[in-house]
Amino acid sequence: MGLALSIAQREASLGTEGALIGALIEAFLRDVEARAYRIAVVQVRDRHEALDIVQDAMIRLVQRYANRPSEEWPPLFYRILQNRIRDVQRRRAVRSRFMSFFGGTASEEEHDPLAEAPGPRGDNPLEQVTADDAMRALERALDGLPARQREAFMLRNFEGLDVAATATAMGCTEGSVKTHYSRAVHRLREVLAEHGEEQRDD
Amino acid sequence: MTDNKDDSSFERRTKRVFDDSVAALDAATRSKLTQARYRALEEQASARDRGLMSSLMPAGAVAATALVALLVVWQGPQRPPRVPDSEPLSDLEILLGEEDLQMLDEEIEFYGWLEEQPEFASVDSVG
Repeated sequence: MGLALSIAQREASLGTEGALIGALIEAFLRDVEARAYRIAVVQVRDRHEALDIVQDAMIRLVQRYANRPSEEWPPLFYRILQNRIRDVQRRRAVRSRFMSFFGGTASEEEHDPLAEAPGPRGDNPLEQVTADDAMRALERALDGLPARQREAFMLRNFEGLDVAATATAMGCTEGSVKTHYSRAVHRLREVLAEHGEEQRDD
Repeated sequence: MTDNKDDSSFERRTKRVFDDSVAALDAATRSKLTQARYRALEEQASARDRGLMSSLMPAGAVAATALVALLVVWQGPQRPPRVPDSEPLSDLEILLGEEDLQMLDEEIEFYGWLEEQPEFASVDSVG
């Protein structure tokens, strides 16, 4: 975010206040959109739904909080994103109960995460396959975590929010964030070690 | 201590795996994300326009009020005196005019003279 934001700040310094906010928020959204999308995909397991969630979060941030100081945008954006993800998960749970009540199975509507995984990219396909495998293993391990631990881990580790911002995004205390995060790290290490999928550090 | 070191090493690895998966996003998905961003920014632009309009509204209202007040003050002294020309007012003027009283005096004399005439006196005695 740093470079894009500082460029936008310089560009916008010559404009009006509205143009400045527009330039800053565009830089923020550009910086955050891909990571937000991946975080949403990990949690809802559906690319289309993840795109909708990210778009809604962007629109709501712009509509409600564009005039707030830009330092407040990351926790606010992720709070909106997490709320939308929970909405989708709740709706899905209700649909699942409804389907099972009428004898169907909810899994009929679910998507195959492996089929939806990003395709190979880069110059070295073998390297890329390994990276994809590592992410899939991590996603499977994240799947086994309680929702709050998973949220804390993704916001702190993937997005790089500090404890205070994560607490704002999750709507809980900083103490709870620390607890959730610590438990998540230990559980993930255990699970990935069990499956021999904990990657080597360079 | 070792556990903390291992934890931070593990955290670095998971972060790298995640960053790689973000970097591996395909062009179609990136394009859709860009479109989503533009849609959000359009909202921001229209919200800004609405804000501009609402911020200009009080200034416009003050200007309009000042203009009306100016016109009232400017027109006030030059307004010609209103001439009453309605019928009830004309009747009142006739009733209150001096010539009416003179005519009334003349008529009293006329009615006195009329009473003294014999043909009119006989008419009165019959009834």
